[in-house]
Amino acid sequence: MEEKRVTISDRVSVYLICGMILVFTAAFFLNGKQEFSESENRYLAALPEFSFKHLAEGKFTEELEKYVTDHFPERESFLNIVSEAGRLSGRKQIDDIYLCEDKTLIQAYGKPKNVEKDVRQFSKLCDAVENAKVYLMLVPTAVTINSDKLPKGAVTQYSQSDTIATIYESMAGKAECIPVQQTLEQMKPEGQLYYRTDHHWTTFGAYIAYEEYCRAAGYEPLSLSDYTAESVSTGFQGTLYSKLSDTYFGADEIVSYTYPDWDLSVTYEDSGEVSDTPYAAEYLDKKDKYSYFLNNIHPLITIENRNAAEGAVAVIKDSYANCFVPFLLAHYRTVYVFDTRYYKGGPSQFINEHEDIKDVLILYNMNTLDNDAGIGGIY
Amino acid sequence: MVFSGIPFLFFFLPVFLILYYLIPFKFKNAVLLAFSLLFYAWGEPVYILLMLLSSFVDYLDGLILEKFADRKNIRRLSFILALVINISILCFFKYADLAVETVNALFHLKVKAPGIALPIGISFYTFQTVSYSIDVYRGQVKAEKNYFSYLTYVSMFPQLIAGPIVRFSTVQKDLHQRRMNESCFVHGFKRFCLGLFRKVLIANQIGELWDIIRSAQSRSIAASWLGILCFTLQLYYDFSAYSDMAIGLGEALGFHFPENFIYPLSATSITDFWRRWHVSLSGWFRDYVYIPLGGNRKGVLKHLRNMFAVWFLTGLWHGASWNYVIWGLYHGLLLTLEKYFWGKWLDKRSAFFKHIYTLLIVVVGFGIFTFEDLHELAAYFPGLIGIGNAAVSASDSLWYLGNYLPVVIFAIVFAFPVWPKIVKSMEEGNRYRQKLAGICEVLLMTALFVLCVAALVKDVYNPFLYFRF
Repeated sequence: MEEKRVTISDRVSVYLICGMILVFTAAFFLNGKQEFSESENRYLAALPEFSFKHLAEGKFTEELEKYVTDHFPERESFLNIVSEAGRLSGRKQIDDIYLCEDKTLIQAYGKPKNVEKDVRQFSKLCDAVENAKVYLMLVPTAVTINSDKLPKGAVTQYSQSDTIATIYESMAGKAECIPVQQTLEQMKPEGQLYYRTDHHWTTFGAYIAYEEYCRAAGYEPLSLSDYTAESVSTGFQGTLYSKLSDTYFGADEIVSYTYPDWDLSVTYEDSGEVSDTPYAAEYLDKKDKYSYFLNNIHPLITIENRNAAEGAVAVIKDSYANCFVPFLLAHYRTVYVFDTRYYKGGPSQFINEHEDIKDVLILYNMNTLDNDAGIGGIY
Repeated sequence: MVFSGIPFLFFFLPVFLILYYLIPFKFKNAVLLAFSLLFYAWGEPVYILLMLLSSFVDYLDGLILEKFADRKNIRRLSFILALVINISILCFFKYADLAVETVNALFHLKVKAPGIALPIGISFYTFQTVSYSIDVYRGQVKAEKNYFSYLTYVSMFPQLIAGPIVRFSTVQKDLHQRRMNESCFVHGFKRFCLGLFRKVLIANQIGELWDIIRSAQSRSIAASWLGILCFTLQLYYDFSAYSDMAIGLGEALGFHFPENFIYPLSATSITDFWRRWHVSLSGWFRDYVYIPLGGNRKGVLKHLRNMFAVWFLTGLWHGASWNYVIWGLYHGLLLTLEKYFWGKWLDKRSAFFKHIYTLLIVVVGFGIFTFEDLHELAAYFPGLIGIGNAAVSASDSLWYLGNYLPVVIFAIVFAFPVWPKIVKSMEEGNRYRQKLAGICEVLLMTALFVLCVAALVKDVYNPFLYFRF
């Protein structure tokens, strides 16, 4: 067999690559291991425990592979390289995220698979609630409202408006369905409705929807200028940012609104903690800054505003409601906020036992509604 | 374990290579065997027994065939027994479910399918051990006396799970005596890296695009065609990259595996395509099925029968699903037509025409190949001519293409023998040009490697296509 020609550059590149492999392998063993990834907001894979059963099933090696990949040295830099290379190569969509003008990230709307289940659960609640009126608000996300910002020619497979229409049609007569799409679209020029790097709406977006709620429920909405606006953070890198971890996209500003006349006691029923504000400033120093609103996750939060009139409202919701709820405090003495992922037994019983509850608001955003783990808990 | 993964690249491979190179020659096979078994057992801890059994049967058969060289009946019995055992294992573990489901569908029965998970690489190693038995029976190769050497051949991890289908005669000499030097290592490792880049940076990307198009709610005609073109490119890059990695690793270890893909998408006829696509498989069917059946030398009718048999089996080999058989017969039919009808006419057409003709047939063929679910196949194909729920405007294809433009262009250009030409022109250039080329090579190789590792760390889309084979 004839000897193949090997050039100096072949040697240099091969040995460079071999060297890189050895350096990273060594670094893997020498580096400390993180348990939690702040930037991705998830627990990294743990070192699997050995058992013969898992070994035989191939599970042990599979988990070991996950562990090794999750704890690879410089993992975040590598993730950054992938997104950046994708963006520089002209990608306008990476996974389910559209890369839009003005460094805006918008999450695509996937195929709705659980529409019937959603209707069934919402209806169960409407049937079970005896003395209160149920309102339903499904909030379209940026992919619908800011569709003009999507990259040119972007293919959007499914329409949130269609899904909302289907659900509202099925819920007609059982709950009062509040359309918000049109108003949100109209108010676009007035301010930023959604974060650029997160899947949530901004507090301003939530305020627009609050006005719509007031119109439906017969309240006079307070003007936004009655509130004290405060920019609490300018370094918010949201969930969409984390999926790409590409520094190109910068960060968002979080604006928080407080009403001068609030006299609050906010009780987190699970921990028993009591606070005088619906905002949790400690989250502003963390990655997950949106949890500033209503202090992240709690099965039931009771907010009492001693300066408000009578009455109470129960809110059954996902995280979109977290920055919305404070606006309700002007109109109810008590606001009960349920997270049905964790609240056991269904809120309707609680609602029927509390006669002060006149209104029940179901509030979900369209992007996570389909996969929301709390839908099953609504009854 | 797969080559294109962090565990292999950063743990298995360096440990193995260091040990393999440090240890004296007489223990090298033992190290290779031990790591090969680990490699296989990593993903298939139980099915490794099957591989041991299958290879032991043929090893034993080889010994018997030589020991009883002049006892025709014993030889025949042993040979047939070895074949039956191997083919039965393959059929049972690969096709039992398909057989039950087909019988159910034909006779409206409801027999429960056994639900057997396919052992990885079984189609590859069965074909290798069977070829060994046949070659020894025919006296074309001497039987291997040492079981561990034989097992090293069958289980050798570079080619274990996705080919090339290496015949024993190819590596018999290397198994006992092989020349290893630094330039073999450099050359082999470089080839491995190039394969890795092709798999991770081209095949995986294009595969992602194909998945998007495939799952779209509606597609324009253009997008439908783009879709199956993407699958064709994905399969080619994925499969040939795996062969590249295998051949490269083999070379770094001192083995010489046969070439498996010779720019098949640049073929000028279907006959030409099959001289370039998965060469070790088509060679296997030629030598062990087609020619023993009489090839084309026993009249047209028998030739047609032989073509049908070979292409039916070639299709079926690719997976336990009828779409593969349709794909195989489709190619068999076109090969027959080229031979008897338009082959000579085609020869006289322009190169451009021949490329378009071949690509069209190949791409449509892989369109059949990709849909194991025949309902999905039937739903997709009308879209190619605008029937069904096709999107009206072709803007969707522009969007898909725009998102993946650089990689699609690269993939198409490098499916033709462009790279060797670039290398050659660089080597023949003056000293400065050579130097520049050398610097570019180093920069490019390291940059691509970093990108590759980044993609593997992210690990969003890294499928293993041949687990059906």
